[in-house]
Amino acid sequence: MSGAVLPARQSMTLRQILHRITFVDVALWSLRILVLVVVIGGTIGTLIKSRYGSAQWVDFIVFGVTIGSIYAQVALGYTMVYGVLRLINFAHGDIMMTGAFAGYFVATGYDRSGFLASNPVTAILITMLVSVIVSTSIALIVERIAYRPFRHVRGFAPLISAIGASFFLEQTFRGLFGSSVKSYPDLHWVNPNLNVLGYNIPKMDLVVIGAAIVSMAVLYVVVNHTKMGTAIRAVSEDKEAAALMGIDVNKVVIFTFTLGGVMAGIAGVLYAFVFKQVYFYMGFTPGVKAFGAAVLGGIGNVPGAMVGGICLGLFESVGPSLFFDGIGITAPYQLRDLIAFTLLIMVLIFRPNGLFGERLAKERA
Amino acid sequence: MPIALAAPSMAAQTLGGVTDEIGVIRVPKGAPITIGGYWVISGPDTALGTDSMRGAKVAFADHGNKIAGHPINFVVEDDQCNAEGGQTAATKLASNPAIVIVLGPACSSAATPAAPILWQAGIADIGTASSAPSLTAPDRKPGYDGFLRTIPSDLGQGKADANWLYNKLGARSVVAVHDGSPYAQQLAAVMAKNFQELGGKVLSTEAVAPTDVDMHPVLTRIATEKPDAVYMPIFVAAAAQMLRQSKEVPGLEKTTFIGGGSLMAPEFIQAAGPSIVGFRIAYPDVSPSAMGKTYPKMVEEYKKMFGEAPISGYHGNAYDAAVIAINAIEKVAKTGPDGATYIGKKALRDAAFASKFDGVSGPIACGEHGDCATFHPAVYEFTSSDPSTFKIGTNPKQIYP
Repeated sequence: MSGAVLPARQSMTLRQILHRITFVDVALWSLRILVLVVVIGGTIGTLIKSRYGSAQWVDFIVFGVTIGSIYAQVALGYTMVYGVLRLINFAHGDIMMTGAFAGYFVATGYDRSGFLASNPVTAILITMLVSVIVSTSIALIVERIAYRPFRHVRGFAPLISAIGASFFLEQTFRGLFGSSVKSYPDLHWVNPNLNVLGYNIPKMDLVVIGAAIVSMAVLYVVVNHTKMGTAIRAVSEDKEAAALMGIDVNKVVIFTFTLGGVMAGIAGVLYAFVFKQVYFYMGFTPGVKAFGAAVLGGIGNVPGAMVGGICLGLFESVGPSLFFDGIGITAPYQLRDLIAFTLLIMVLIFRPNGLFGERLAKERA
Repeated sequence: MPIALAAPSMAAQTLGGVTDEIGVIRVPKGAPITIGGYWVISGPDTALGTDSMRGAKVAFADHGNKIAGHPINFVVEDDQCNAEGGQTAATKLASNPAIVIVLGPACSSAATPAAPILWQAGIADIGTASSAPSLTAPDRKPGYDGFLRTIPSDLGQGKADANWLYNKLGARSVVAVHDGSPYAQQLAAVMAKNFQELGGKVLSTEAVAPTDVDMHPVLTRIATEKPDAVYMPIFVAAAAQMLRQSKEVPGLEKTTFIGGGSLMAPEFIQAAGPSIVGFRIAYPDVSPSAMGKTYPKMVEEYKKMFGEAPISGYHGNAYDAAVIAINAIEKVAKTGPDGATYIGKKALRDAAFASKFDGVSGPIACGEHGDCATFHPAVYEFTSSDPSTFKIGTNPKQIYP
């Protein structure tokens, strides 16, 4: 008797399960399987082809970590502002652009005078200082004019204001300095590469990676081990409660935008010294990717922004050769953004709060 | 010779005694005749479009800024050298009922969506630097029936580039790089086909995005193939990144990089910096000996009007495009009983396609599919990284023929 009932129950369960499977489930699982097939099949195919030696793979990784470090630095600014204000600061990539532009005038001046060649470290540091001052000032002006009036407004107004600030900065710099691409000077290293374990690594790339790690470490210490950091965390937890406890919310917001501006200023100059071009629209793409990196790592989370940025950069750089060469896709580099954003989607499907989770999500839940 | 055309969405019309299959434009007595234009006049490729626009303005000035007794009203839109910009510019121009004919663009990316929009409104469009073969191919879609151009098709440019790479440079292997634009993609394909026919090997065709900044990975990939040459007819920002970063990627030290006509601009020098010295671009021969007899005079007028030497190489083509427009309008314009001028749209298109004269860019003779120009190949080499030294013939200097 029981033997006859059990299959009926199982059949009911199976039917129920099948009934519950929606089109979206099928699409998501198909996407996961497709991505896995491309990743595994492509990787095996590429390794069998042996087109790239270890030197090329090291190059791909270094290039990926370098651009990823820049994404990470910009992402740190996004993530800090989001953590405190729950605002996606779409103008942040353009704030990076303003710093890079300011640095351009200093760097080209030093290049013409020969100071950049004779004292590259000092010249870079001064360039960076000017960039940081300009980008921080503009970040604070944007906060005061475009964001503060909307601080207590719910809905889309703050977001629209952020997008407007982004366009305003782009078009202002276009009007002031023209729409042409401007060339950053080359750094005149005696030897531009450093030999690490037999591989040549560009010194500038190491500077960028090092700067990103230091920036993240400093931010982490500031947020977690200082009085202002405690205030930032309190405001991001609950603005009203923090204000009732005597925390000056305005001061915390200004400090957060200052940190974001500093990060953007440093990132702008490093970006320009690596990729050697500045123009009014240069902040848009890295800004979008850095925002993706912040989401990937878990927006509001400082180490998450860093890891998200580096993952995104690595996938962009290594992905096309590793995944697509092996399955015979021609010109794979035009698909680098597809790889980066597929990664983003895949991570968010499995972990909607990003790799590290939104910093306050757990506590709030 | 008139050919059977796909009719635009306009009906036959009779106005002021003029009957036309697709409509008639009335220009009141004393009112201006409106000519449209669309080029890239912002962003890194500004010089391409601004130079063309100036060429057209010189032509109008040479005709006393009047056509058929009417002053000229020149309405120019920015197409940003991309499809979205071209579509927007063409939509704006097509919605202006006063537009008689349109000049431009410089970029095939813009012309590809724009030309059918204009022709749908019965407006003929004369391209000045948009050279993608598909725009005037014999099997082009009916939407392009109103498009003609004073720049040669890249079928000639691609063949000449392959020939120069193989026979003059001595390259036996090449990697082609495009940015997905109709111009770059089609030119790279034509060059690759001809290079293979000559006996050379095309190792791969790579693609980058016009907005890409990190070219290191794609250059590392190219370096594994050890090509003799990299052929990259892409635009200013991406080409400058490729060139600068190529110096930092091991394995490319002996590889020659060669660009296309989109890089003939001071902006490219500014963007590429010191790495530009020695870089070569394949381009139509715009030396005075290869151009029309009146070219030197046109250049002098250009300098007088704009206070500087030409900032790119397509001003002559645009001048000739404007002359086609002026001559065609004067040929078909009729004065009605009310003193107004009436212009048949189809008649104007046919008159433009029947153009034949000695232009400033060389002989102009339009074929049934809209190719009007004669192609003379050349190769130029940049000699200085100072943008203020830009002058075609000096920096870059002509090294072939």
